[in-house]
Amino acid sequence: MAMSQQELVDTLSGLALFADLSRPQVEAVAHKMTEESYPTGQRILRQGFTGTGFYVIVDGEVAIRIDGEERARLGKGDFFGEMSILLGEPPVADVVTTRQLRVLHLGGPELEGFLRDYPPVMYRMLKTIAMRLRNASRWRS
Amino acid sequence: MPLSTEEKASALARLPLFQGITDESMTRLAAVAGEQEFAVGQFIVRQGQVGTGLYLIVGGSVRVMRGADELAALGVGDFFGELSVIDQQPRNASVQAAESTIVLALASWDLLALLESDPALALNMIKGLVARIRAAGEQHRH
Repeated sequence: MAMSQQELVDTLSGLALFADLSRPQVEAVAHKMTEESYPTGQRILRQGFTGTGFYVIVDGEVAIRIDGEERARLGKGDFFGEMSILLGEPPVADVVTTRQLRVLHLGGPELEGFLRDYPPVMYRMLKTIAMRLRNASRWRS
Repeated sequence: MPLSTEEKASALARLPLFQGITDESMTRLAAVAGEQEFAVGQFIVRQGQVGTGLYLIVGGSVRVMRGADELAALGVGDFFGELSVIDQQPRNASVQAAESTIVLALASWDLLALLESDPALALNMIKGLVARIRAAGEQHRH
């Protein structure tokens, strides 16, 4: 069952990614992105295949799998899909829902323009990505 | 003798974090990066402190310590705190000057102020980090 627009904006306002936006800005973001739902066990991004999209998880959980091995789980407030878009390369991992999933989706070609329109979101994304690099590098040793 | 903005930009441009950044953005970064001097034995950062920025060594050398253990020795051209300038995570080691040392320091708040007025810089930094994550991930694949 879809959330009302009000509930969606309330939920988005609570996410770290959008924490620096005013409510009218969050409403604009909700309007610009598309709300989508996926059942359990659905592959949203496929390792090695083309097809891009930027996704922000509103509710639910996904597993990130590389060569069949689970590497991480993402939940409410997390985002994924930006790597392939920004690098212009196919995804290196499968992203599969582990529960019923609700996301906001933005088409790949729209991501850069969206980030330029909302610099605070870009900065939050930068911080999260820096953390991900820390974790990826730590695993190396 | 203090470094010129150009010299600072040139030094900072070697950091992986700033690969692919335009000359114009590098000049702006250099303008807010400052030189700091440390005497032998002085701590530049301490383990556990909130990370407030990155440091690039332009003169002298340092010891990277965790407790009493020396993890590494760094010299001219080396850097540390590269990700702290973005995410302010606590320092995971202390860094102590091994001799009279000069560093170029970039504070996270100065970087943030710059990012707000330079979306291209932020976007290019994101792309650089994402490429490095992908490279780090590929190292684990058999």
